[in-house]
Amino acid sequence: MIEFRDVEKHYDNNVIALDKINFTLKEGEVVVLKGVSGSGKSSILSLIAGLSKPTSGEVIVDKKHISKLADHFACTYRRENIGFVFQKYNLIPTLSVKDNILLPLVPVNLKRSELESRLSEQLTLFNIEEKKDTLVKNLSGGEQQRVAIARANINAPKIILADEPTANLDEKLSLEFIEMIKKMKSQKRTIVIATHDPLFFNLDFVDRVLNIENGKLL
Amino acid sequence: MLLNPEILTLYILNILFVLFSSIAFIMSLKIVRKWDANATTKLQYSLEKQSYLTATIIKYIFYIKLPLFLFFIFTLDKISFVLPGAMCGAGVVNASEYATPLLFLKIINLYLFAYWITLDKEDMQDESQPYLKQKFQLFLLFYFLFVVEIILETLMFLNIDITSVVDCCGAIFSTNDDTYLSLVLSMPHSLLLTLFYGNFILMYIVSKLTQAKLFSFLNLTFIFIALISLVAFFGTYIYELPSHHCPFCLLQQDYSYVGYLLYGVLFVGTFEGLVIGFIPFKEDELQKRERVSLVFSFVYVLVVTAYPLSYFIKNGVWL
Amino acid sequence: MTLLVALLGSTFFLSNAMKAEYSKKIKYTPDIVVTDTKAMRETSINREVVSNILAINGVSGALPRVYGSYYFTNADRIFTIVGVDEFETYADKNLNELLKSKSFEANSMLVSKELKELLKKSYYKDYFNFIRADGSLKKVTISDSFESEDTFHSKYMIVMSEQLAREIFSYTAYEATDIAVSVANRDEIGFIANKITTQLPNANVQLKEDLIVEYESLYNFKSGFFLTIFIISFFTYFIIIYDKMSGLSSEEKREVGVLKAIGWRVSDILNAKLYEGLLISLSAYILGIVLAFIYVYVLNAPLLKGIFLKNTELLQDYSLVFSVDYETLSLLFFLSVPLYIAATIIPSWRVATLEADEVMR
Repeated sequence: MIEFRDVEKHYDNNVIALDKINFTLKEGEVVVLKGVSGSGKSSILSLIAGLSKPTSGEVIVDKKHISKLADHFACTYRRENIGFVFQKYNLIPTLSVKDNILLPLVPVNLKRSELESRLSEQLTLFNIEEKKDTLVKNLSGGEQQRVAIARANINAPKIILADEPTANLDEKLSLEFIEMIKKMKSQKRTIVIATHDPLFFNLDFVDRVLNIENGKLL
Repeated sequence: MLLNPEILTLYILNILFVLFSSIAFIMSLKIVRKWDANATTKLQYSLEKQSYLTATIIKYIFYIKLPLFLFFIFTLDKISFVLPGAMCGAGVVNASEYATPLLFLKIINLYLFAYWITLDKEDMQDESQPYLKQKFQLFLLFYFLFVVEIILETLMFLNIDITSVVDCCGAIFSTNDDTYLSLVLSMPHSLLLTLFYGNFILMYIVSKLTQAKLFSFLNLTFIFIALISLVAFFGTYIYELPSHHCPFCLLQQDYSYVGYLLYGVLFVGTFEGLVIGFIPFKEDELQKRERVSLVFSFVYVLVVTAYPLSYFIKNGVWL
Repeated sequence: MTLLVALLGSTFFLSNAMKAEYSKKIKYTPDIVVTDTKAMRETSINREVVSNILAINGVSGALPRVYGSYYFTNADRIFTIVGVDEFETYADKNLNELLKSKSFEANSMLVSKELKELLKKSYYKDYFNFIRADGSLKKVTISDSFESEDTFHSKYMIVMSEQLAREIFSYTAYEATDIAVSVANRDEIGFIANKITTQLPNANVQLKEDLIVEYESLYNFKSGFFLTIFIISFFTYFIIIYDKMSGLSSEEKREVGVLKAIGWRVSDILNAKLYEGLLISLSAYILGIVLAFIYVYVLNAPLLKGIFLKNTELLQDYSLVFSVDYETLSLLFFLSVPLYIAATIIPSWRVATLEADEVMR
């Protein structure tokens, strides 16, 4: 499903983020990328999402060489296949919950009824139905997290990526998050979580744990 | 020199267009020379970004050009009142040697720009972007044509002499002189109508056979035949005057502005039909465009036929 | 931007309204007006040429007219004096009606209501003293007043017998201000005008049609003047918009980053921004037109009118004719919307092509 071949990623200031990374992930797997900040796990997520391109090597998702796509098509690929939960959520605070969730679908020009049904599906799934018209800036941390996940899920993506999802959460909310991951696994998504939260290292539904250190896969 | 608010507006927008299209031109030049889809260099990324800007500029110019063309005709009409002897746009066209080529060029450019936009749209559907270099190369050419158009337009307005007398359309389009125009106009109506309706029916048949290039060619001929038959035959029924052959007066209020409808529909119909011959569309896209083309052309045929028919019904005789 | 559109809109509406008014009025001017010149300066014409003009085929009438202006020092105002012959029919319909309804005693005049008020202020209630060319005074009784119509002529208008007008202007019995010629067949006007010129080489022969064209160009020029102002202000505006949009706030950068991260393409972002620009400019356009409407037709365009009519004393309180045409509307459209969008193209593009990377960190 997801394959990294000899992927290297260098940044402008000669920082080597990734150094000859090779791995393959199967469809439906839940994978945890374990490593400290700066180890390169965020770069891996970014590459899978097509948000950046490798300096050398190839990223192949579902048989598509996404590292070779022009930006325009990389975005289309991302829109159709990826759901991203960011560390800082990156919601738009001045918009309502439902607007935030629907945001990825806006350029797709779906019919109104389709949008409505998908929206209500996500609202119910993640328990934020009552707050759907509230502005995001007025939500609690936990509620915002749920909105972020709903947004990531609304386009029925094949792959869900989460970057340090529990970094700003207490234990209770972290556990809630894990429950939501389970829900998404049951929807047959491939899930990659980049984290250094030990809560994730011994979960039963996690299929693999990959260790990243200094840009190398251990 | 003639100066009124309308002309001034045209000048302003033209300057704007030249500015923007020149930006697009420079970018297109860079893209044509340096584009490398496989490169992951900074240059390639910036070229990609520039391709968006270029496409946007071209679309912007086109979408404004369309109504602006109508506005241009409006302006010609308005000027006609100031020129002695002119009673509609035709007189103005006659007053300047630049006018006729300008008009042709404007129409051609409309088709060209519309073609570019369609090409761009197709190009963006496919990840390999098959038409990328081609579309920017084409733009390099179109740019020159566009600039020529603007130069002609400027020259035309600068050189209109409001003191010399011009002919009005009655004289320009008469069947008595021995110009090419009058030859065409005095073609027997039966021949004209056969060609016209025949062309349309052929287009319909060919569309069923899905012969793209042939369909496209027939649309090309249809443009000419439709315009000639409009001026020579149908127009006279719209004006209810057998000697009135002017293509401009149709656009005036007296005839409920029907000219705009006719020309607009004709443009869309023939463009959709033409473009099929130049871009290999996927099957369903092809069908869709063929259908659109036929529908619009059909509307044209319908409206244009309605006039002589209603005249006959009202009066019992033909003109 | 709304203000700009409103400003320009009012200009155009106003000039259109005036043009409409003018063309209404112009119906009442004679087909040809013949004035004489001496050393290429306008002077009075000899009445006797009337018979020569009447001799031309196609001329249906030739009427010598006596009228002119008089400067009243005390009030710093110029009056229009129209001399009439009770038995003549004039091209001006209003004048004719006036003749029918009022009578002229010797040595009296009819004044417009406004003039009557003005004279009262200068303590002239029942009569007025004109100062003649030789310095002597001519006392004329004010017999009656009339409503002055909404005309471009001075609202300070006096109608008196031709004889009296002559006295005041110090015209001899042969002099007239000009000769109004009517022509039976419109198409022959130019032809006849030529004949008159042949007869009277010094004469200035003015055709009604030329007047119309001349006035049109005058208004075009004046509108052009405003247009120039508009262009300059728009240019400034252009720069301001460009600048504003180019200053990308970190907030905006973040938003674009987020959008890109969730799958918006550059073209999607660009389109969204351009639609936004379109909506803004369209609504500004519509609002501007509505405002201009109100300003010109409801409020009667207080300041702008003064600029259009040369002398402030000519300011009328008439309600302007409703004349809105598609051309003006489309003209305003093309001057505003495309320009606004043009200003936003490059800034929108810059925003849309930001890298999404920062969002990740």
